Amino acid sequence: MAGPTSGVLTAGGRHRDPAVAFTSLALWLLLALFVVYPLSMLFVRMLTDHGTITTAGLATILTDRHQVRAFWNSLLLATLVGALGTVLGFLFAFTAARGRLPRWLLGIVDASVLLPLVSPPFTTAIAIIFSFGPRGLITYELLGLKGVTVYGLTSTFLSEALTYFPIAYLTLRPILAAIDSNIEGMAFSLGASRWRVFRTVTLPLAIPGLANAFLLLFAASLADFATPLILAGNQFPVLPTQAYLQITGLFDLRGGAALSFALLVPALIVFLLQRYWVSRRFYVTITGKGAGQTPFDSISPAMRNGLLAVCATVALVIVYFYALLLYASLVMALGANHTFTLQHYRTIFTEGTKAIRDTLLIAAFAMPLGGLYGVLVGYLVTKKQFVGRRSMELVSMINYALPGTIVGIAYLIAFNDPPIELTGTALIIVACYIFRYGPTGIRATVALLQQIDKSLEEASQGLGAGSATTFRRVTLPLILPAFFAGLGVVFIRSMTAISATIFLVSIGWTLITVKILENMTELSLGPAAAFSVLVVAIVFVVIAAIGRVLRLFRAPGAMPMTSLLGG
Amino acid sequence: MTHPLLRRMARALALVPLLAFALGCATARAADTVNAYSIWPENWARPMFEEFEKATGIKVNFVRFSSGEALARVIAEKGNPRVDVLFGGPVETFAAGIGEGVFEPYKPPAYATLPPRFKHADGQWIAIADDPLVFMTNDKFLKENNLKAPGSWNDLLNPAYKNMLQMADARTSGTAVTRIFSILEVNGRDETKAFDYMKKLRPNVQLYTKSGGGGTLPVGLGQAGGGIFFIVDALDTKAKGYDVTISFPQEGIGTAAEGIALIKGAKNPELGKKLIDWATSPAMQNQFAKYKINFVPANPAVQVEPSLAAVLKGAKIFAIDADYAGANRKRIVDRWVAEVLNP
Repeated sequence: MAGPTSGVLTAGGRHRDPAVAFTSLALWLLLALFVVYPLSMLFVRMLTDHGTITTAGLATILTDRHQVRAFWNSLLLATLVGALGTVLGFLFAFTAARGRLPRWLLGIVDASVLLPLVSPPFTTAIAIIFSFGPRGLITYELLGLKGVTVYGLTSTFLSEALTYFPIAYLTLRPILAAIDSNIEGMAFSLGASRWRVFRTVTLPLAIPGLANAFLLLFAASLADFATPLILAGNQFPVLPTQAYLQITGLFDLRGGAALSFALLVPALIVFLLQRYWVSRRFYVTITGKGAGQTPFDSISPAMRNGLLAVCATVALVIVYFYALLLYASLVMALGANHTFTLQHYRTIFTEGTKAIRDTLLIAAFAMPLGGLYGVLVGYLVTKKQFVGRRSMELVSMINYALPGTIVGIAYLIAFNDPPIELTGTALIIVACYIFRYGPTGIRATVALLQQIDKSLEEASQGLGAGSATTFRRVTLPLILPAFFAGLGVVFIRSMTAISATIFLVSIGWTLITVKILENMTELSLGPAAAFSVLVVAIVFVVIAAIGRVLRLFRAPGAMPMTSLLGG
Repeated sequence: MTHPLLRRMARALALVPLLAFALGCATARAADTVNAYSIWPENWARPMFEEFEKATGIKVNFVRFSSGEALARVIAEKGNPRVDVLFGGPVETFAAGIGEGVFEPYKPPAYATLPPRFKHADGQWIAIADDPLVFMTNDKFLKENNLKAPGSWNDLLNPAYKNMLQMADARTSGTAVTRIFSILEVNGRDETKAFDYMKKLRPNVQLYTKSGGGGTLPVGLGQAGGGIFFIVDALDTKAKGYDVTISFPQEGIGTAAEGIALIKGAKNPELGKKLIDWATSPAMQNQFAKYKINFVPANPAVQVEPSLAAVLKGAKIFAIDADYAGANRKRIVDRWVAEVLNP
């Protein structure tokens, strides 16, 4: 069901539609300016040295033994994170979809799973050091272990898996929920055991979802630089961190750019696999024909308890980590002086007000624009025929697929000098967010539009509605969730992203996440924790509000907002 | 035919440039304002700049970055500088910037009074403070292992410290480079001996951190037993309430100056020069004590604050020879990466 749906709406030479022509032209201009131009400038910068074209030095750095090892380490880490994250996500999704959990319990699971997704960077990593370090609360205080090593592959991998598995959960849950349990019920009544039903019916139907989740996690891990920066230590270098250190430590912009471009290769492969191979293997789940649900217990009570226990344990670990964060924000100095204080909150609401105000302002601007951008591009590339439609879809995804560091550096280089001077403005950060995180909205829109079976639109037109009415009454309610989802994701990322924007903050505009990193390096753990708690609180409130709005438009079967956070 | 919604959306899209303009205007700044990147953390830079404004009426607009990030930005912005002054940070960073041609030589009035190691020969940078290295150890760790605070470089080789030291990574931190040159110095610049020592120290090092102060919190918390840090960071850890001990090796340890520089092509060069004049004079450096900033003043006319002087009393501290360090830095760091970090 992917690709152009040459259905009723697009029939009849609509490419002459002036609104389509104008919108696509405007979008192309924006994409050229904010995606193609910065990357080209970065590329030029990488290949020139004081005005002359040269590749000297690049070969050295790209074939350097440590950098090659970092490259393979990155792939290894991403593979492990993808595997464990997908398994965890599947367990959670399966339990949520088939475990017949009471509503309140499902609410708790959802909230605890959302925490890592909406948190500023570093939070899990820091909590892991506190708990499992050589003098960790758990390893040392509780278990009395000595000489524990916390830095390395294991902790980085576990921290990332815990941070990103919610993506898998949110990707898989709607898919599992959409698998008609009638089919499972039929297999069961034909005499198959529960395990056999799971193995031969449920699992095969979920495989595209599993592959998708794996690739999403793989990409997220590949681009993550904050977690390895804190946890990987010296024995396990990974490429995004190496690129960052090359630029900020050795002042080698060209080398850093070259390392980032090396990351581009696996990132693009994964993206293309995900976009053009996996996403075609989904099944249409919204049809014009309704199907009654027959209750079927696809898991035995013992199994259900086992699953619940696993999920509860993981959820507990997450809740424990965040409780630790909250605690750190409320004591004088974690680990030294555990007197209760509100001093850190006073600090962030006095010295930090500028960062808070700037962050909220920027998020408020980026949010509607990002949502709009996502829906427009998604709608155009799915439902309209115009020149360069496919390339628009691909180009719009580039900033999203690239590691943040490279996007940040590219923006800094491209927009510092005339003709387009944007550094120092809020616009450069807003633009970065829109074009980096707006693609979630594009994908949501595309996915929703593809899920609309032609029969729905045909039925509407067959009943006498014009195509405008059909759009308004049928298509629009279905893409509005995508609009809000896109907007929600842009908001969340505006509050929590750091890898790109650390290069874009300026004298005029700063961000909470940059403050968190700064406090962290200045050993002001209290304010860093207080800022993080604030971010989590704001994001939760906004998500809840968006969820409320979304429910007003919610067409039956449309994806819930949270499921789109994954992409 | 055109869908009304699409038309409306297209119209909204046309608003983008307008918004851009509005946001752009919002960043316009007042006239008597100088812009700076501060490498000093905000809690030290802010009071200094407020004092400067009190003294001169000139406001300092600043944003804080680690030395590497700050220099990377100054270099990226070379064609169109966003700031007038790079404030604070190890002289190391400034030396790297000279090669990129990002600074405008300027010799403030205090230039003549400073000893040679506190200024660049052409005035590309000038020092505002001095920052010796120290050993910092966690009290609880010392007690548990029946150790005294290390008083010699060799004390750190004690197997009791196995996997319990944190110190900075030479690829990213001036602190680390100063440390390595200190080790070279106490070994009479015998590189074989110095690298033997560092290789022997390696098993005791839990983590080489990105930033110079990165290990202070872990040591304060006891996640690490000890490390080698700049005195400002170490005293700051103590001031936060963590139980740590500061000590010096009897063989001696190096110190590094903190600098300031005017950016080439600065939009407000005159105001920038005023900030440099002020920062290199006793007017600023006399304020260190008031705000508990434990740098040693660079200007000889400024007294070292008594409690800081007490810590430093008896410590054998030497300056790192800038010419020797400058000529050998890259080679030594490369060798450190190859032989110590990734053997």
